[in-house]
Amino acid sequence: MAERRLRVALAGNANVGKSVIFNYLTGLHQHIGNWPGKTVEKAEGTLHFKGYTIDIIDLPGIYSLSTYSIEEQVTREYILHEKPDVVINVVDASILERNLYFTLQLMEMEVPMVLALNQMDMARRKGIEINVEGLEKILGIPVIPTIAVKGVGIFKLLERAVEVAEKKESGKAAAVYFGREIEERISRLIELIEGVGCRYPPRYVAIRLLEGDEELEREVAEISPDIVEAAKRFSKEIEAIHGHSCPTVISAERYEAAGRIAREVQRITPPVRLRFEERLHNLTTHKVAGYIAMIFLLISIFYAVFTVGGYISDLLNSVFYSVEEPLYSFLGSGAFGRLTWSVVEGVIAGVTIALPYITPFYVILYLLEDSGYLSRVAFLMDSIMHKMGLHGKAFIPIMLGYGCNVPACLGCRIMETQRERMLAVFATTLVPCAARTVIILGLVGRYLGVEWALALYAFNLSVIFALGRLAFKALPGEPTALIMEMHDYRLPHLKTILKQTWFRLLEFMKIAFPLIVFGSFSIKVMEVFGLIEPIALALSPITASWLGLPPATGIALIFGVLRKELTLIMLAALLGTTDFTALPGFGPTQMITFTIVSMFYIPCISTIAALVKEIGWRSALLITVFEIAFAIALGGIAYRLLAALHYLGVFRLAERELLSFPKSISLSP
Amino acid sequence: MGKVVVPLIALKNGETAIVVSVDGGLGAGRRRGGRGLERRLIDMGLTPGTKVTVVKSAPLHGPIEVIVRGSRLALGRGVAERILVEVERDG
Repeated sequence: MAERRLRVALAGNANVGKSVIFNYLTGLHQHIGNWPGKTVEKAEGTLHFKGYTIDIIDLPGIYSLSTYSIEEQVTREYILHEKPDVVINVVDASILERNLYFTLQLMEMEVPMVLALNQMDMARRKGIEINVEGLEKILGIPVIPTIAVKGVGIFKLLERAVEVAEKKESGKAAAVYFGREIEERISRLIELIEGVGCRYPPRYVAIRLLEGDEELEREVAEISPDIVEAAKRFSKEIEAIHGHSCPTVISAERYEAAGRIAREVQRITPPVRLRFEERLHNLTTHKVAGYIAMIFLLISIFYAVFTVGGYISDLLNSVFYSVEEPLYSFLGSGAFGRLTWSVVEGVIAGVTIALPYITPFYVILYLLEDSGYLSRVAFLMDSIMHKMGLHGKAFIPIMLGYGCNVPACLGCRIMETQRERMLAVFATTLVPCAARTVIILGLVGRYLGVEWALALYAFNLSVIFALGRLAFKALPGEPTALIMEMHDYRLPHLKTILKQTWFRLLEFMKIAFPLIVFGSFSIKVMEVFGLIEPIALALSPITASWLGLPPATGIALIFGVLRKELTLIMLAALLGTTDFTALPGFGPTQMITFTIVSMFYIPCISTIAALVKEIGWRSALLITVFEIAFAIALGGIAYRLLAALHYLGVFRLAERELLSFPKSISLSP
Repeated sequence: MGKVVVPLIALKNGETAIVVSVDGGLGAGRRRGGRGLERRLIDMGLTPGTKVTVVKSAPLHGPIEVIVRGSRLALGRGVAERILVEVERDG
């Protein structure tokens, strides 16, 4: 007998344990990518079960199907057009009402469904008992209680899902729960729709038209504009009866239905004592204690990510450098050898810089998100982040940007809308990362004093605020508004987190490595063919005339695209000294100008890769080009202002020892 | 004691009120996307007639924490200003 294939989709609200179930089912047979043409993550996997090959797709966690966000659009399109054999709707048993609202919306789409009543243990802790049979009867679909983190009920869930998929039975979608005046109009619309025929369930189309679904309106109008007209008329009538817009009335009644069902099947005996989760919530959102706890925690996280990262990075570095010499002599110093070497160097750079920091960062980000702490930080930091046109959730990626922009950009995926994600990654790429800190401290800090370095940091921060606000004004779309669920604290599921980290790392490497290798290769090509000098010369109108820098700095800035910490080393090599004070034409003015340019022009090629992953090629390119232009413009203005200050005798070079550089990837001989 | 309609932001900590309406935009000068905000709030359960309890607000004009339909939400101040609620108040 040939193996039978089934397609199963997991759908549900955010934070209901969907990914835990997904990871439990698929194990290591999964693939993380993006939905075609979208920047929404798509997780797919396969498993074998009772002679079936089952393709599982983890749909994004959403609260509704009213197509407000890209995630909602992706989910709706998948269910309507790809028609999975069965949808497993994962719900949080401890917040039944809100979850059932989404369930009812799914049922309106008349897909074969089973309900996974997850987090039964959490519900029990809250004193909630649920009558499973009762819920099954009301909804008309199988309901399976599960505790995904312990694997409880998953086998049975899969069994029932396969049964439903075979029978192709959908839920009792015809169940009437809207008021009479709405149901009457729905029936009339259904008649009209059935008259012309439509590829979607008529009742679903009728409800969605009343809710003012623009996409469906367009589609239906092509078949019969009369139906859309009728729906608009009905919608006006309903609005006149209720005094609220028709979509609002429909959602409200759907919510009421969800509430009725929830009340009917659950018995709540609230625990007498405050639960530990609640006390923890009160502490971590407290107006004083909350901030203290947050600062303490975030410093520890920052420290942990960068110590662990630094340690792994050093370890990998020393491994690579032990093979560097033999490999280099093996490849030879001919053009071919040097070009091959550049590819090797690119890979080494990718492995030793980005990965050691991205790995612990991903783990911690997932820990924060799954446990529920991230939403508390967002709650505490919202007002400050608002000043730069973002909301509280963006605080974490921006803060981590001070370590490394790459994981910080990847972390911006926690923002809900495309627009918020754009704004957050943009602000993040302006944050001076550790590599840029090397330049700020190594050049300005060392030669001009710490106060100048700090001034530059303050300047950077004000630029982030200013540009953030500008971008916020310039980008069309929703006003930034925090509407966020703060779900109960819970222990994160470590296995799921590690798997999520691993598969996202793979995905990132697929984008980043070709870019990094291509970058180092092309720079090496320029070098081998003696193009570096001419390029520096060609850039001199910018570097020399506009920025007032020695032309050689252009080369350093180009190399800086690969790795920012290389910039300073390059500069030393190019200027032929590590004592920058001894150089004519490279005084305090030039140092600050150079640092400002380094601080703002695009972080590095790995960050560009992260941008591509999170916001797509076009936007990534746009941000890159903007930042380069902005850095050059700002540098030129700074140069002129500083030159004036210099004339007034503001600067005094600090007497310091010669610079000694940390060992890093060597520049080719 | 009488019923008054106020923005959600005007409630004191611990006060419970009934949602009257969600104002998506500002009258005639309706900002683009205002309807999206209304839609989102409705989808999160803040429908007219729903009970909403304010727990507390974050310092420095931060968001407010509310309980709606058994779950805990954080709402930015700008959002909370646009939700009108009916509450029992003295004279």
